[in-house]
Amino acid sequence: MLLSEAVEVKPQPTTKIMEEGVINIEEEKYPELLGKIDHPPRKLYHRGHWDEDIFKNCLAVVGSRKMTNYGLMAVEKIVKEVAAAGVTIVSGFMFGIDAASHRAALDGGGRTIAVMPCGINLVHPEYQGELYGDILENQGLIISEFEGDFPPDSWTYPKRNRIVAGLSKATLIVEAAMKSGSLITAGFAKKYKRKLFALPGPITSKVSEGTNHLLKNGASLVTSSKDILDFYGLRNSPLRNSNGQKTEGREREILELLKSEAMEIDDISRKFGLSASEIGATLSLMAMKGLVFQKGRRYFANFN
Amino acid sequence: MLIKIPSALNIGLKTLGVDVEVNIASRGMPSFDIVGLASKAVDESKERVRTAIGNSGISFPSKKITVNLAPADVPKEGSFYDLPMAVGILSSIVQFKIPESSLFFGELSLDGSLRRIRGVFLMAIFAKESGIKNIFVSKQSANEAALFKEIKVYPVERLSQIVAHLGGKQLIRPVECQEIELELEKRTAEFDMSEILGQEQAKRAVEIAAAGGHNIIMIGSPGSGKTMLARAIPGILPSLNKEESLEVTKIYSVTGNIPSGGSIIRNRPFRSPHHSTSLVGLVGGGDKPHPGEISLAHRGVLFLDEFNEFPRSVLESLRQPLEDGHVSITRAGGRAKYPAEFMLVASANPCPCGYLNHPTKSCACTPREIRNYRKRISGPLMDRIDLYVEVPSVDTRNLSQDKRASKFLETSATIKKRVEKARSLQKNRFQEEPIHCNAEMKNSHIKKHCFLSPAVEGLLSKAGSSFQLSARSYFKMIKVARTIADLENSKEIEPTHMAEALQYRSHFHDELN
Repeated sequence: MLLSEAVEVKPQPTTKIMEEGVINIEEEKYPELLGKIDHPPRKLYHRGHWDEDIFKNCLAVVGSRKMTNYGLMAVEKIVKEVAAAGVTIVSGFMFGIDAASHRAALDGGGRTIAVMPCGINLVHPEYQGELYGDILENQGLIISEFEGDFPPDSWTYPKRNRIVAGLSKATLIVEAAMKSGSLITAGFAKKYKRKLFALPGPITSKVSEGTNHLLKNGASLVTSSKDILDFYGLRNSPLRNSNGQKTEGREREILELLKSEAMEIDDISRKFGLSASEIGATLSLMAMKGLVFQKGRRYFANFN
Repeated sequence: MLIKIPSALNIGLKTLGVDVEVNIASRGMPSFDIVGLASKAVDESKERVRTAIGNSGISFPSKKITVNLAPADVPKEGSFYDLPMAVGILSSIVQFKIPESSLFFGELSLDGSLRRIRGVFLMAIFAKESGIKNIFVSKQSANEAALFKEIKVYPVERLSQIVAHLGGKQLIRPVECQEIELELEKRTAEFDMSEILGQEQAKRAVEIAAAGGHNIIMIGSPGSGKTMLARAIPGILPSLNKEESLEVTKIYSVTGNIPSGGSIIRNRPFRSPHHSTSLVGLVGGGDKPHPGEISLAHRGVLFLDEFNEFPRSVLESLRQPLEDGHVSITRAGGRAKYPAEFMLVASANPCPCGYLNHPTKSCACTPREIRNYRKRISGPLMDRIDLYVEVPSVDTRNLSQDKRASKFLETSATIKKRVEKARSLQKNRFQEEPIHCNAEMKNSHIKKHCFLSPAVEGLLSKAGSSFQLSARSYFKMIKVARTIADLENSKEIEPTHMAEALQYRSHFHDELN
């Protein structure tokens, strides 16, 4: 994405919480963990209600803009559960893994902090205005070390990443290429002696090269939310389970199939030897029950 | 000496009688003048007529010749007045009588032979309506006119033939009249559905579209087979009936799209204009309003490949004809109304690079680029497209060996039978309405003809919240479900029909993440 594309968009006035402020490094309210890093920001501009509790248990979740479906599923499962257990999810508000993490935190009923690479008056990228509002409405925070309408630039992103890592006890890298901003964040986390988690990925995926590299070099491997919650000394809180409903017959068979691999409708119909019309009708019904969801052409089993 | 020869003039799809009056004065300086709002092409007739007569072995009279094209206040276009003028002049030199109630039209070549002209079919209809018995027309265009028993069509190859015929020396044999119904049987084979491997859902969507006359958009990566699917659609639509064929032939005749020696149009039109096509090229227009691609696709398929590469203004101009089924064009040079009842088949890539959600290639587009790309198709236009289907890229090598895939391979003929059955149900349903198929239903028709059981209603309202359907989409889903029910010969819309219809809701403008 070109930086010149950053468009100045003021948050929509539909957002009820428009509380704004600045926190100085000398103030009591300044996040303790962030104060311990090498060059902490002198001032933190924020939007949303400043509640020190939010900084108690923070997990940074970062990853590639080129999120794959695998990355999305991992975020929707792991991050959602971690957030539901009371951990604040910190991320960078970029599209891809960042945005998915904020969204997953909100879906899990948790709180989330978006650290912006620009002034807090700008929504960047500008089409994520809805997410911006939702974060604030759910007792989250938008913070930045840049004032007001400060535009994002190539150098503001790595600076932003140091805050993301600095605020958090641990950092989870979901998907990252070898040369990426996410690995810069991982580097900061290491430098600040914070815990580093990484999600293993397929060896064929470009955006898993970075995370697999981190795992080789000592990052902790994450396969479930428990791996992270153990570190925080928290326990998995029961989620509203949409899978509570019983499935039978064809729906059950399809669900079992999709649990092992996401599939396109044509493949499913060939597998069962049934017409696309019949399978299509069944999948529509399953999607409405929340058993499966569609991404592009493929159907995924809902793990939640 | 004054000779009057009947001819005609096409304005849009209407035909007007024109009298070609040739006066050869016995006095005055030798000259050749044409009056009666002749265009350049008509005015140039002088040279063609003079040379063609000379080259037919008859010396052109050195007299004062005046030709009047009456009525004199309507502009005359085209080159087909060559023949009546030549016949008029010849009759004065060679001395033959012009038979009663005969129409002449044709363009002359300098060597005295006749060339193909356009609009012959329309003139034949005019001749039939005004009780004319004989038509003299070039041989290549004769089949186009020979569709009515009442009219004798004389195929003329050379000017000298007419002289011999009218002089009673050697008669031209009229073309045998062709039965329209028999002609319609001679359909050429279309691209067959069974040649498309895989794509079960897309094929089903295309079948539903054909059965209900719905417009459809296909989204897929390059090479996924969107064009093949579109090409197969005319083959699964019900065959053209007599009335439809005549409507289509009119438009093809007036635009000169009927091949040499051809008669009526037998296959459903399939038009696929390139995305650089101008607004006038697509909807029609020009100095003298002529039909555009949408009218050439009348009763057939208008396939717009790379849908969002078309300029916005061009796409938006489709909205009204999509609603009305015809287009009225008014220009300084005249006014014309052309029919445009076509099935819109659009196709587009999922993103600018084309590889979003591709199984093996990676997409190089940012969400912003994709959003901007998709925004080029406006909401109101998408609202007029009932079915939305994503066409996956398939590995055809694997599929051709996969026996399970071949189980679903159906020929176009099989699908066509189902489509025809569904259409006949719709015909009965809309007997008392001014519409023909489910796609044309307005909200009032939906209320009247699509009863939703509580189960279906519940399903739809649940879908409304889980899939965030707009009010427009609601109606689209009901229409599509009605067609699916028709395909299964079901009186009621069952929940499964509605559930399947939901598969074809549009996600094109959905939020990307």
